[in-house]
Amino acid sequence: MRKFNIAIAAVFAGAVLAAPSAAPAQDRTVKITGFGAKSGVVRVFGVNSEAALKAAAEEINKAGGVTLGDGAKAKFTIEFLDDRCNAEEGISVVRRIASSDAFVAVGPTCSNVAESLFGILQKKVGDGSDSGLQFPIIADVAAKGGLAKISEWSFRNVPSEFEMYKALFAWLKTQHPDLKTIYGGVEKDFAHSNATFGVMKAQAEANGMQIVGQSEWLLADTTFSTQIRDMKRANPDIVAISAHPFTTCGALKEMERQGVKPKLLIGLTSSSSIETLQGCAKQAEGIIIPTSFAPVTPEAKKAADNVAKFGGSADLHSAAAYEIMFILKDVIEKQKIMAKPDTVKADREKMRAGLAALKETNGLLGKVGRTADREAIKPFLYVHAKGGSWQVLYKPSS
Amino acid sequence: MDFYLGLIQIIGVHTLLGLSAYCVLLTGQVSLAQAGFFAIGAYVAGMLTVLLHWPLVLALIVSAILGGAMACAVGFPALRVKGLMLVVATAAFGEAVRLFFFNFTYQVQSGAILLGPHGGEGFRQIRYFPEHGWGTLDVVLFIWTIVVLVMAMLWWMDRSRVGAVLRAVGEDELAAQSTGINITAVKVSAMTIGGIIAGIGGGIFAHYTTHIEHIQFGIVLATFAIAYPILGGLSNVFGTLLAVIFIQGLLIEGLRFLGDWRNLLFGGLIVLAMNIRPRGLLDAGVLMTLKRLVSRNGERKGA
Repeated sequence: MRKFNIAIAAVFAGAVLAAPSAAPAQDRTVKITGFGAKSGVVRVFGVNSEAALKAAAEEINKAGGVTLGDGAKAKFTIEFLDDRCNAEEGISVVRRIASSDAFVAVGPTCSNVAESLFGILQKKVGDGSDSGLQFPIIADVAAKGGLAKISEWSFRNVPSEFEMYKALFAWLKTQHPDLKTIYGGVEKDFAHSNATFGVMKAQAEANGMQIVGQSEWLLADTTFSTQIRDMKRANPDIVAISAHPFTTCGALKEMERQGVKPKLLIGLTSSSSIETLQGCAKQAEGIIIPTSFAPVTPEAKKAADNVAKFGGSADLHSAAAYEIMFILKDVIEKQKIMAKPDTVKADREKMRAGLAALKETNGLLGKVGRTADREAIKPFLYVHAKGGSWQVLYKPSS
Repeated sequence: MDFYLGLIQIIGVHTLLGLSAYCVLLTGQVSLAQAGFFAIGAYVAGMLTVLLHWPLVLALIVSAILGGAMACAVGFPALRVKGLMLVVATAAFGEAVRLFFFNFTYQVQSGAILLGPHGGEGFRQIRYFPEHGWGTLDVVLFIWTIVVLVMAMLWWMDRSRVGAVLRAVGEDELAAQSTGINITAVKVSAMTIGGIIAGIGGGIFAHYTTHIEHIQFGIVLATFAIAYPILGGLSNVFGTLLAVIFIQGLLIEGLRFLGDWRNLLFGGLIVLAMNIRPRGLLDAGVLMTLKRLVSRNGERKGA
């Protein structure tokens, strides 16, 4: 019984320590809280986001920090909370952040969490009849299309997959006019991959390709023999896989085992990451993926190095987190955010207004446009796996 | 404050989920179907408030009825099997419900957007609470009014002949049957009550998360549902509540500051708690001690 009491006391102590606390204003630090999946199958995205936020904060702090509304300089500090890619936990995490002096949060990783989170926010600013939470959130990873529309307090710095795949399929039509048939593989139970597969199919058809079938699997699946057998039977020119690195690799390995060799492979944006190369570089050789990040500019190279120092890997998702820190710095300075405990409400409104007013931001690959529904229009390029690394295949804007 | 109120909401809904399994466990059956009834409640209530603009209370009543009806329908064939076979049968039902919603699409145009369940992409914009101006405290009071009512009903049931019959079946089925108790009727009734409670819980869940999708109602949720009453103890309804506070309040929220270590400790602490208190956190021994303390205090006051 005594042991149990000690265990309970330890847990209670943890709970007390974890309680939202007011950051002292006089130390002139601005704490930015990120949140996302740091456990489970998609853990790596949260790890990379945290590293990117910390890397960008260090970069900004080295350059003197951020100038607050009263003219004082402040340093950024980063906290990152795990929501386990669970909507209920995501809501709880955001309520925890919103109960502190924070005036913005960065996250989440998973689109299903973003769907719930953005739903609890006030839909229209100034609507007194809507009791939703009035707290700005800017997403770095959650990639399912159109999420920021849910609330005027929600923002995203994620690429438009619709634009990316639209351009990719149009480009493929010009480069490979001989490729006529396409077969899809989709990770059906994950909101992002499932939604993006719809985009891939629509764009393939729009460019005159014939869909000859599709195979479905789940995020936690580890065997793909049946699905790949169907794929083999269809004998397509192109295989498009809308799945995250873990099952993309599983499917690619099974394709190799069954001798399925399409003329062209297309992958999901999220799979243009180091995890795919670590998991199945050989099988992924040649796969083409549109991405909004590659270390092709001096800024992007520097960001990739900085993120690596914090134990993460720069990819299209973590690069978005890195960019967000600079966006937040600019908005804090332009909106003259005070970052004091007694100005929290005003600071949140200023942050929301500042983010909503953005027409363009600086991205690691160039200028990033902002849309009226609070989404980003990011420059992108096509990479392909070659010799165990991601190499730029084509840059549409060049 | 908003954070703590939000946490109290979560604890309330999970208590309903746990209590739904508590009813079934009283009869000595382990059901992994509770997540399925919870899902039915969530989707039905969500569709009624979002697509038909019904008041929430009415939507929850329908959820409860459908959850109960489905539990009753499942109860008859499923409860013909026992033990591990029942676990498998109810888990299969839960998965069937989840997969149904995974494939279920019913959307209607509302202005510029489509509303309603959309297969694997889920069902968004279940915004009854914010759209009707309910603050976090209002939602807490609403949820806990229901939780208290359900707990009071189960507390009363536990102390009535019905509770005695349920426990008799749970303790020794053969002995209960030899006294003339209709075992099937008792088990199916317990399953139905559990389905009703899970339906209500699911209906509320859909409204405070604003977005639901099939993946939320999988085997993990089903495991949580039976873990609450088992960890809390079956002596009375408060054991389930205590277990929900322990898991949701302390292990999930309280340990969040531990980052990656949280998940390791999460499982470890549950195993530890089960080892130290194998009959649940609130077992008969603890209840006796509490009763003694209360009566001693009463005697002192009387003196």
